[in-house]
Amino acid sequence: MKPSTHILETVSLRKEYPGTVALCDVSLKFNGGKIHALLGKNGAGKSTLVKIFAGAVQQDAGRILLNGIPIDLRSPRDALRQGIAAVHQELSLVPALSVAENILLGRLPKRKRGGGLIIDWDETFARAQNILDTLGVTIDVRTRAGELGVAQQQSVEIAKAMSYDPAVLMLDEPTSALAHHEAERLFDLLRTLAGRGVIMLYITHRLEEIHKIADTVTVLRNGELIGTIGIGEATPATIVQMMFGEAVQKTRPPNVRAHRDPIMEVRSLTRTNTFEEITFTLHKGEILGIAGLLGSGRTELLRSLFGADPHDSGDLLLDGAVVSPSSPVQMKSLGIVLSPENRKEQGLIQMLSTRANVCLASLSRISRGGFTTRARERAVVDRNIREIDITVPDTEAAVSTLSGGNQQKVVVAKWLNTKPRIMLLDEPTRGIDIQAKQQMFQLIRDLSDRGISCIVVSSELEELMDICHRILIMKMGRIAGEMLPHHSTLKELFALCMQ
Amino acid sequence: MHAIVQSRIFLRSAVLEIILVVLCVALGVTAPGFLSTDNLLNVLRNVSMQGVIALGMTMVIIAGEIDLSVGSMVAFGGCLTAFVTGWLSTGVGFPMPVAIGTAITLTLVTGFLVGCFTGLMRTRYQVPSFITTLALLTGLFGAAELITNGFPLTPFPEWYNFIGGGYLLGIPFPALIFLLAFAAVQVLMNSTSFGRSVYAVGGNAEAARLSGIDVNTVKTLVLAITAALAAFSGVMQSSEIMSGTANTARGWELDIIAAVIIGGTSLMGGIGRVWGTMIGVIFLGVIMNGMTLLNVSEYWQHVVRGGLILTAVLINRLQAKSS
Repeated sequence: MKPSTHILETVSLRKEYPGTVALCDVSLKFNGGKIHALLGKNGAGKSTLVKIFAGAVQQDAGRILLNGIPIDLRSPRDALRQGIAAVHQELSLVPALSVAENILLGRLPKRKRGGGLIIDWDETFARAQNILDTLGVTIDVRTRAGELGVAQQQSVEIAKAMSYDPAVLMLDEPTSALAHHEAERLFDLLRTLAGRGVIMLYITHRLEEIHKIADTVTVLRNGELIGTIGIGEATPATIVQMMFGEAVQKTRPPNVRAHRDPIMEVRSLTRTNTFEEITFTLHKGEILGIAGLLGSGRTELLRSLFGADPHDSGDLLLDGAVVSPSSPVQMKSLGIVLSPENRKEQGLIQMLSTRANVCLASLSRISRGGFTTRARERAVVDRNIREIDITVPDTEAAVSTLSGGNQQKVVVAKWLNTKPRIMLLDEPTRGIDIQAKQQMFQLIRDLSDRGISCIVVSSELEELMDICHRILIMKMGRIAGEMLPHHSTLKELFALCMQ
Repeated sequence: MHAIVQSRIFLRSAVLEIILVVLCVALGVTAPGFLSTDNLLNVLRNVSMQGVIALGMTMVIIAGEIDLSVGSMVAFGGCLTAFVTGWLSTGVGFPMPVAIGTAITLTLVTGFLVGCFTGLMRTRYQVPSFITTLALLTGLFGAAELITNGFPLTPFPEWYNFIGGGYLLGIPFPALIFLLAFAAVQVLMNSTSFGRSVYAVGGNAEAARLSGIDVNTVKTLVLAITAALAAFSGVMQSSEIMSGTANTARGWELDIIAAVIIGGTSLMGGIGRVWGTMIGVIFLGVIMNGMTLLNVSEYWQHVVRGGLILTAVLINRLQAKSS
């Protein structure tokens, strides 16, 4: 196969779901050897497009052509056979199996003698090693996938996709779980692949990544193709204009205020091999950021402060009184709450309704003498929806039907109903669109104005610079420094985190 | 147009109820005496002892757990009641009502504690409730045999028969208890913060824990309540047959779990309705009764029941898929 001969085209692609047109006559053309960024806010239709390419759903009308030949994608297996591979946002490795087995899952080489039943382990490891080598990824193929970090798991996923020798590789928000330097390594890998003539489709919410990695930018809005532009023309303003129709980018409001009253003091908090000697003070109404790479112990620190995980030594002082966090039940009653990193699996109960999720943490407050009524709960939910502007078509429908941004707001609403004093927010903006992010920032600022202190953990340093009054830098389980966004630049923060 | 959509939504949400009504009409036409008041009350009486447990089982399954020991708990509960009654009345010399009252109380408390034990194993030692209650399935049956030494105990006076065999206002007393228990569990699951926590715990235990819900207590309590309900069902059973017999209620756990599943509760936890279980219980009762009236052989009854469970779950899955 010669590089750059691959061309993926769609002709008048259309897909409707009950009540909405997800894709409306979309005609596109992607050339091989390039990285094509696919942009659009939640609900713009980019997921639908990706699902159609991946064979997960079928279009209602229109055609897909690969190298000029119409292809029929009825299942993910079809898509793979036709040369379209995808790496999804949710990683899907089998944790108990080795890296090699994961890469070759379903296609493990068999021994010649053995009737095609006995696995040829030497061949399996050799073949998997070969694939990783060509990608320049250094992971032992015998390691169990469950022992790898997220970044390494993602490399294995890409290796798995590449093992099919695809003409098209789709990546859905590949950097959302990665720290800065890990993302850089991923970009190198993607450029290598593009250099081989593969058509790369890159879906992201992070505008700042596009200039680092993409060659073209394609924007969808409300199911329609808005246009494709070369990276040279893609200024942030142009992109935002294409995505939203009107410019909505806000700048940081001047809310510099002095925070003098300490509310929580953490003294030498230690969890062996996770974080050590963590000491800091949080003030009333303060927004404190924690910056650090994945694995720096920031998530674990929040979990221990919330009592979700144990700690080994050190003190926590609330209003000067010593508290030992031992369970979420206890910390909730003291007014410390956590919006966890993984909103889908830990923040919400997906199968339950929005109403049930919003009331989940405050059932004892909402009920009288243990009894609650739907009407009373609905009043609470309606107030939340109004106050923090959640878009919920039906409060009785499963919360899983909401977009990421609205789900994040439901998590915050859930905790607001418990009248918290300190809110711990772990990656509150992961995987949500720009507009929802801006609303989330505003929400955090509002909390601060109401005297609720927030600790915000984020991989996106720009975000921390935007909303925090003060930023702590965590490195290898320790606090390595502190900075004030008003007196420093993003570059300095990057440097502090990376060095 | 709107009315059509509305009625379609209604049809979809009430499939089981509609099938039940159709079934009753069909049996009314074909089976002699099916629609007589006596027979319908009889159906209600027949299902009430399993029904009481099925209500608890619904909570357990919604919480993401299972209890396989309920049948043995019925036998054990009946034998314990008979044994303590006999011992207190003839051995110690208590008046009969006091002896029986004490025996029933003791049985309920024991049932509750056994359920707490299952919960403790689950929450503190991470032993799945499937395993603990499987062990209890044989263990409690053995305990019932030990208590009775293999022979039925018959210490009960005539009036004791009222609990399991009597009538109040023309309605079988166990049926009244079933209805009362239904109302209680319905309120518990839908209108109390505890009930709502059960759904949360079964839907996603980790998310519930991180929402500050005491997951361990919730799981332990539903298991304990269900074991206590099974023990009480054992009391009713001993009253109906006027003895404590170890060899009773064998295999009930499967009937009960079947009724809960037919009622639309998901074995994966988090989803289910108490009302659905009520319908599921009655559904199974009607089918059994109808087949008996139609002289269908008992062997066929088992086959039909198996097919019914599969069909019901299939309908549930198809509905979930289409909505």
